[in-house]
Amino acid sequence: MRILAIEDEPDLARQLADALREAGYAVDVAHDGEQGHYLGETETYDAVVLDLGLPVMDGITVLERWRRAGRNMPVLILTARDRWSEKVSGFDAGADDYVTKPFQMEEVLARLRALIRRAAGHASAEIECGPLRLDTRSSRVTLRGATVKLTAQEYRLLAYLLHHRGRVVSRTELTEHLYDQDFDRDSNTIEVFVGRLRKKIGADMIQTVRGLGYQLIAPDERMKGRTAPTRGDEGRGEPT
Amino acid sequence: MKVNSLAFRLVAGAGLWLAAGLLAGGFLLSDIFEDSVERSFDARLQVYLESLIAVSRAGNAGRLELARGLGEPRFTQPYSGWYWQVSGAHGPVLRSRSLWDMTLNDKGGEDGALHTYIADGPDGRSLRVVERNVSLPGFPHRLRYMVAAEESEISREVAHFNEILTYGLAALGFGLIAAVLIQVHFGLTPLRRMREGLSSIRAGRTERLAGSFPAEVQPLAEELNALLEHNADVVERARTHVGNLAHALKTPLAVLANEAAREKGQLADSVLRQTDVMRRQVDHYLSRARAAAMSGVLGVRTAVLPAVEDLKRTLERIHAERHIEITVGGDRDASFRGERQDLEEMLGNLMDNGCKWAHGRVAVAVAHAGDRLTVVVEDDGPGLSPDERAQLFQRGKRLDEAVPGSGLGLAIVRDIAELYGGSVTLDRADLGGLQVRLTLPAAESKAVGTA
Repeated sequence: MRILAIEDEPDLARQLADALREAGYAVDVAHDGEQGHYLGETETYDAVVLDLGLPVMDGITVLERWRRAGRNMPVLILTARDRWSEKVSGFDAGADDYVTKPFQMEEVLARLRALIRRAAGHASAEIECGPLRLDTRSSRVTLRGATVKLTAQEYRLLAYLLHHRGRVVSRTELTEHLYDQDFDRDSNTIEVFVGRLRKKIGADMIQTVRGLGYQLIAPDERMKGRTAPTRGDEGRGEPT
Repeated sequence: MKVNSLAFRLVAGAGLWLAAGLLAGGFLLSDIFEDSVERSFDARLQVYLESLIAVSRAGNAGRLELARGLGEPRFTQPYSGWYWQVSGAHGPVLRSRSLWDMTLNDKGGEDGALHTYIADGPDGRSLRVVERNVSLPGFPHRLRYMVAAEESEISREVAHFNEILTYGLAALGFGLIAAVLIQVHFGLTPLRRMREGLSSIRAGRTERLAGSFPAEVQPLAEELNALLEHNADVVERARTHVGNLAHALKTPLAVLANEAAREKGQLADSVLRQTDVMRRQVDHYLSRARAAAMSGVLGVRTAVLPAVEDLKRTLERIHAERHIEITVGGDRDASFRGERQDLEEMLGNLMDNGCKWAHGRVAVAVAHAGDRLTVVVEDDGPGLSPDERAQLFQRGKRLDEAVPGSGLGLAIVRDIAELYGGSVTLDRADLGGLQVRLTLPAAESKAVGTA
């Protein structure tokens, strides 16, 4: 899961980035509207935290440009502008949620989780796939009730696959969603992580679809020869 | 007509000079007339005097006699008011019959010139007398001829004239005053139009003075419009500054609070507590400042239902997880006499509160009657007991910490409403939860569209 945080106040940007990384996300930070807009248009994110009062280009303009260009990742507005008229214009510009400063970090994290979940089409805070279960609130993965111990990278990979369970996810898509832009991307590392995950949750859960990518699927569903439906997943991520 | 008014000044001024002019004119005319009547009266007397002299002759035994009568019957009727008399050296020698047993007292000179004077006549009436001393052949002394008539003849004629003159001038005066009234009314019409324009701005029907005015008043209208614009500008600037201040204060507060939240210990605890207090204070006073800045602005109106519908769209996204159904209904013509931002602030807080507490339904109803409009927001949540409702307006009071929100929402709504002269009351909703009734000044209905 990869998040873009656009915030011009350096301390607040650092706090946001730290908190998001601790919560298991890959994080890119932009300090002005133009840089933020560029990243949002060229990179792939699962959610964006957007300040409105930004230098160079204001947040509403950034958001409107993304939406006009068809970028529809969930956007959480984080701003000191707390008048209802400002909230209305924020939502009308295409925001998905709105948190006003000062805020509690926990609230931002909770709302981001909900946004990401809803964008992937999951109504509940818990995502299941056969014996595997992810509680998005606590970032905990259990297999038949027992906690699975995961590193941050492994968690990100598994959480992404769980959010998009049943769908074939390409290596490129995984790379884009798991690493921030500064990371040295080498798609071989994905294979390493998939290997480790298979050891932890069972080899048959993650299928390799030759030439296309990986698919997380519950063993019983695979035996029935069909894939689980993926709801509300229009156009997010790239089909390969 | 008020005493301290332009119309009164104009009419009273015109009245004063009209009265003075008419009085002076009246006296002058009356004077001239009286003079002319006197002169023609004297001329008649003189004619009789000349006739009297012409018909005089010396008769038998050297006595004076008249060759014939003067042809004026009033000289023969006793005390008719018209008299003549001829005197010699030893008193009157010949008198008109009308004098009967009286004689005329003479005051004239001894020369041969014509004298005119006033003398007492019979019954103490005053007489106008013309007199001349004449030497006739056959008489050793000069004879004094006098013709007199009662002066009341003149005064009667003058009084009659004065009566006609008074009525005539009074009629003229009233006519002129009526003309002045009409002129003043017509002349002051642009000012009345301007006053009506201003009162519709106050009532929220229009934003500016419209139409063209006469050259003397046009600059005033332009100044007024400029003043209104300046007022709106100042308020807009104040609002911007307040917004900037909010932004400037809240980001550091967020940084402090988040930093403290990561730490343990007394310092971190106090920082957390104090930043929370600061946040509430900032919220409270900034909302008040923003509302106070706006509530005095004239000529603004906001349609209520479109604002409610915007908020409904936004709130349904904010509370997307909980699938709250917001129903909106009521009077589409209802307009609030105030700023859209303030209306949205009040309605946003009320509807958001409703959404936070509701199980699944929030209902908003807009109504307007006369110069008041009411917005009723109801939810199907747990509601409040009468005691809790009474406590709710204390500043910053939060009844249930479990539902996120500052608790300031309702207090801010009440503050803004009161600045506009409105009110907020709480009751039990038909849906089961809380009912909040917001009463605000309505803009008068008029087909002026405002977004």
